[in-house]
Amino acid sequence: MADPRTVAPATSILLTLGLICFAEPGFAQQPDSSASAEALKKLSIEQLMNLEVTSVSRRPERLAQAASAIQVITQQDIRRSGASSLPEALRLVTNLQVAQVNSRDWAISARGFNSTTANKLLVLIDGRTVYTPLYSGVFWDVQDVPLGDVDRIEVISGPGATLWGANAVNGVINVITKRARETQGLVVSGGGGTELRGFGTTRYGGALGSHVNYRIYGKGWAREPSVLPGGQDATDDWHMEQAGFRLDWDASTINQVTMQGDLYNGRISQATAGDIAVSGGNVVAKWSHTVSANSAVTAQLYYDRTNRNIPGTFGEDLDIYDVDLQHATRLGARHDVVWGLGYRLINDRVANSALLAFLPPHVTRQWFTGFVQDEIALIPDRLHVALGTKVEHNDYTGYEIQPSGRVSWRLSPSGTLWAAVARALRTPSRIDRELFFPGQPPYLIAGGPGFHSEEELAYELGYRHQRGALALSVATFYSRYHGLRSVEQVNPPTPSPAVIANGQYGESYGAEVTADYLITKGWRVRAGHTELRIHIWPNPGSTDTTRGASESQTPDRQFFLFSSLDLPAHLRLDAGMRAIDDITRQQVPGYAELNAKLTWQPTPQLDLSLVGQNLLHDRHAEFGAPATRREIERGVYGLVEWRF
Amino acid sequence: MLARAPRALPLAALLVAGRGLAAQAVRASEYDVKAVFLFNFAQFVEWPAEAFPEADTPLVIGVLGDDPFGRVLDQTVGDERLGGRRFQIRRYHSVDEIKTCHILFVSRPEGDRPQSVLAGLKNRPILTVSDADGFAERGGMIRFVTDRSRIRLQLNLAATEAAHLTISSKLLRVAEIITRPGP
Repeated sequence: MADPRTVAPATSILLTLGLICFAEPGFAQQPDSSASAEALKKLSIEQLMNLEVTSVSRRPERLAQAASAIQVITQQDIRRSGASSLPEALRLVTNLQVAQVNSRDWAISARGFNSTTANKLLVLIDGRTVYTPLYSGVFWDVQDVPLGDVDRIEVISGPGATLWGANAVNGVINVITKRARETQGLVVSGGGGTELRGFGTTRYGGALGSHVNYRIYGKGWAREPSVLPGGQDATDDWHMEQAGFRLDWDASTINQVTMQGDLYNGRISQATAGDIAVSGGNVVAKWSHTVSANSAVTAQLYYDRTNRNIPGTFGEDLDIYDVDLQHATRLGARHDVVWGLGYRLINDRVANSALLAFLPPHVTRQWFTGFVQDEIALIPDRLHVALGTKVEHNDYTGYEIQPSGRVSWRLSPSGTLWAAVARALRTPSRIDRELFFPGQPPYLIAGGPGFHSEEELAYELGYRHQRGALALSVATFYSRYHGLRSVEQVNPPTPSPAVIANGQYGESYGAEVTADYLITKGWRVRAGHTELRIHIWPNPGSTDTTRGASESQTPDRQFFLFSSLDLPAHLRLDAGMRAIDDITRQQVPGYAELNAKLTWQPTPQLDLSLVGQNLLHDRHAEFGAPATRREIERGVYGLVEWRF
Repeated sequence: MLARAPRALPLAALLVAGRGLAAQAVRASEYDVKAVFLFNFAQFVEWPAEAFPEADTPLVIGVLGDDPFGRVLDQTVGDERLGGRRFQIRRYHSVDEIKTCHILFVSRPEGDRPQSVLAGLKNRPILTVSDADGFAERGGMIRFVTDRSRIRLQLNLAATEAAHLTISSKLLRVAEIITRPGP
């Protein structure tokens, strides 16, 4: 654990703050009851007409998505990969930067600016923003869903601030679970192995009459610790238990109601202090109402509670209340308008320590948002333009405006060219204005009372091609950033005291290429490559000497290759390879790793699998400065799943 | 790595409600089922001889406009053969591109205004299918109707006869026959 007296000067404080604070130093529709194409072909025409059909995942896409660098991973992708957590599933998305920091911490971002406190990515689970107002980021250790109930994960790299929220500077992750009627029956799965010590999930889905479907689940797992660079146990083993439900009520053909919620509890070992305790829960209510064939309204209300106690560092009790209203309507023959209003209230109570303090410890903050977007069919089905803006009011900086414009031009039935320009903001969070280090004066580093929003102007150009067995996407981007976070020396060149400010600017550019090819009916191959460059400079007059050290911990390139192969005798073999360039700033060497899963399905109800993760090396590092670095070991686990 | 004493065993929480595990209805994705319908139609329709100029002319299933099937149609057809003929999937942007074709799925929004599409086909022996509202009433041959989560078929006999297609009695028995003449 970092001792405050020995912590490096302010130059690298922000870099390590995340670690100090939060990381302790240190079958497409195959699963469940849906039927495969082969099974469907055996049915008579009368039987086909008696099938209950669902139409969830192939909705017509909206332009905001069509004209962006979106990638979608499906239930089948997740299932076949052997991913055992949400961050592991996000490794399947080739336009994300995903790095495992230690046993429980992950650095996840899109288009760079990655850190354990990455703050330019918005993550939603079934419409609920997963967000900590401490640093505008995500505590990945407490974000979980039963992966078998996930319908798909949509990931947009690039700004999505107009339609989404204020964190959507460089990307949006949208985790969407299945409707309860698609998860009927009992599923029990469990197993264990070397790194993932043990885990189990039970889910039951049922119906109450003909209009209400529900599911309930419980799951738990225990994970082994990561290791120090010398191979010793890093004492960060942990376990979690979680339970939840979802209920869908088709009240009438024009009214649908969904209620869902989760509760979790876990403990994480620390080397130098007592265990970290995490717990929390959420409940979400949604109502969607069809006004007419061309008009629909949705309303959503949720409450989310987070408790986190890190002995020796800090503790937090956070309540979030959020309400959203959206209306989509068609005006005339050419305009599709979506507008919405939102309100969010947080009540955050921090227990400070000698190491650091959030001052004031207890804050209540609120956000008001409104957005409108008009999608205009200039040439119907060929050339569409979407113009929109978000207006937000927050307690730190008042009103903020985030407009965007997108164009999609369908060159042929299989090819679409798109372009976008957007302004997106990363509004201040508590870490920028209210964090003091150490916990009592004199402070070596102090929050910046004048910290304002970081601003991005993004330009994107892309092409998407889908025809038959081949899907191909290329996205290129250039972004300018202003007011990036800096650590300003108050009495230069003395490193401390220092204060947080907006003293840096920068640019990023690069390209994301993905290809997906169905070689034969039983063999699918998917590949992705990302090139990314980030340059950050101090503003004139800035006394920052970090040179963007805390903002640009991102590899210049990464390459992924996935293969899904159906073998005879009810066997399936999946493999995923990733090659990640070095993180120069942190001296993390580049690496290549391989995950693989072999599944035997002796009966339609039973899956027996063997999963290998990070198979190529005994251990390897993915993220973190040398002083606090942890390494990830090779892992193997077995999995049994029964579907009753 | 150092062995550590096991702490909490992972809990596969036992949430099983007391109710029995009643057999549940099989469900399938809408366009997976529609793809199988299109594939099956090949067995229930007889084309005039000129529709297959060569002995090895494949049986072509076409999609006009935005393809709602993704890869499902290709997967459904796979390596199947019908009477020795291979299947082939083609995708069209406009009616003018359609040369050899036997079953044509007309996607929205083209299917919402079928007159121009059908006029372009000029009663060629192509089985036209769509899920657009009023497709069969307006001169299309088969419409998928999704009714309480199940797919029904509407069939316009006058249109199939005009294109010299013979529909098997098996299909006639299950379809709702639309007698209103084309527009």
